[in-house]
Amino acid sequence: MNLGLLDYFQFEFMQRALISALVVGLCAPAVGVFLVQKRLALIGDGLGHIALTGVAIGFITGAAPMWTTLAVTVAASIVMEILRSHSKTSGDVALAMMFYGGIAGGVYLTGIASDKGVANLQQYLFGSLLTAGWDEVWTIAIGGAIVAVLMLVLRPWLAAICADEQYARVSGLPVAALNLLLLITTAVVVSVSMRAVGLLLVSALLVIPVVTVQQFTRSFKATMFAAMAAGFLIAGAGVLASAVKDVPPGSTIVLIGVAVFVATAVLAAVVRRVRRVRRGHLPPEGEPLEVELPAGNA
Amino acid sequence: MPVLNVRGATVSYGGRAVVRGVDLAVEPGEAVALMGANGSGKSTLIKAVAGLVPLAGGSIELFGAPQKRFRAWKRIGYVPQRTGAASGVPSTAAEVVSQGRLAHRFLGMPPRRADRDAVSRSLAEVGLADHAHCSVDTLSGGQQQRVLIARALATDPDLLIMDEPTVGVDAETQAALARVVSDRIDAGCAVLLVTHELGPLTDRLDRAVVLADGKVVHDGAPPRPVGEHADPHHEHAHPHANGDSADEPFWGGK
Repeated sequence: MNLGLLDYFQFEFMQRALISALVVGLCAPAVGVFLVQKRLALIGDGLGHIALTGVAIGFITGAAPMWTTLAVTVAASIVMEILRSHSKTSGDVALAMMFYGGIAGGVYLTGIASDKGVANLQQYLFGSLLTAGWDEVWTIAIGGAIVAVLMLVLRPWLAAICADEQYARVSGLPVAALNLLLLITTAVVVSVSMRAVGLLLVSALLVIPVVTVQQFTRSFKATMFAAMAAGFLIAGAGVLASAVKDVPPGSTIVLIGVAVFVATAVLAAVVRRVRRVRRGHLPPEGEPLEVELPAGNA
Repeated sequence: MPVLNVRGATVSYGGRAVVRGVDLAVEPGEAVALMGANGSGKSTLIKAVAGLVPLAGGSIELFGAPQKRFRAWKRIGYVPQRTGAASGVPSTAAEVVSQGRLAHRFLGMPPRRADRDAVSRSLAEVGLADHAHCSVDTLSGGQQQRVLIARALATDPDLLIMDEPTVGVDAETQAALARVVSDRIDAGCAVLLVTHELGPLTDRLDRAVVLADGKVVHDGAPPRPVGEHADPHHEHAHPHANGDSADEPFWGGK
């Protein structure tokens, strides 16, 4: 432990790792806030499983796994949205099918391609930021920027369809298109961030920052911005911790996220107890009790 | 030209017709109640009008246009049956109400002054101006209901469709709601109100349409509670499809 924290960043691979993790940490919660609102918090995990098939296709064809993953997850999210809106398949059944089918497809295809370095699969399952090249970092940065801008600009519309889809439909919003956009964006985030946190843990960065900050926030807007900041910090801290301990960054990012969530949950419970004494606004009072109390004590 | 014209509407769930050949017209500025016991098909009919369930037969015209080709949804303010305004991620009352303005904005554009004004005006109308920046899940059930009504008012609708807005709502909110809705009726907004109870809201109605078993059994003057409750046929005329207690003040006339 002779290296100071900053000394790690003399190494170019550390700079690359940190940049990609920070971008993913910033963008994933921007999408995740809508998924949590829509009660689809596990969709990232479902797409992560599907992505396994995409990685395996990359192994077989020799194409870059990030692009085959992107193609497969985007296709899967379109199929899922069609299933959800045009058949009686509910969201969680479609999700279950993604989990099973994605894993099975990945195992089957890597079995076929067993001569082409299956050992590599582990770096997609658990993340391998430290081996990413600069061109990969640029892909992450550009993809992240597109995702973040889309989510910020369309926030009120996406929030509306996630909060109350029926109302959004009656008020004439393009609900189907927005739903599809959200799912495709999730697929992009999953494919792009698999290098940072790994496919099995990718859902964590979508969800943990959001559920952590929403214990304190009052508005959707504040939740979104605070979650992006929290994701940024958690991802940065996770990369530093992984460098110090020399372990895969995905694990340290997620462990720090879970620890922060538990800590804030405890803190929020304490704060709520304190606030109960002096609330921001009073509960409605003087409401007539709409019953007639029996006179006397019978 | 009626703002809403339903002709022979039939809606079925899994082969069972819930709404059977209903005719219903609402003229501009008219306030109409759609009444009936639980399970009479009134909520289903409203959902069909809002385009949330498909018609098995008949036709629906909105502002003179067939529903399939109708695009001016921002002329309709819709208050869904109460599910609570709260959701997974916290939202302020102002944020929920501003959803009512989204159809007026271009996709991706920030709100204009008119949008912000409409939001604060409709929050003030329902008496929640002070609560604009409170998270909706800290509001009471009645206040959450008022938030949903403010959201419908924020669209500046020409037709206000409300699905059981007074269920489980305190008397204060019912009275406030009646005031707000009468103001809008005075301003020329048509109202279609689904309800199964008579209250402050129903005093201001022009007409009531009563459904029983998916069919219109009455279309005319709004009912008066005393006469109907005195009617010996009233008690057992309609089974409570949802198994609600018998002493609920529903109105299921014949």
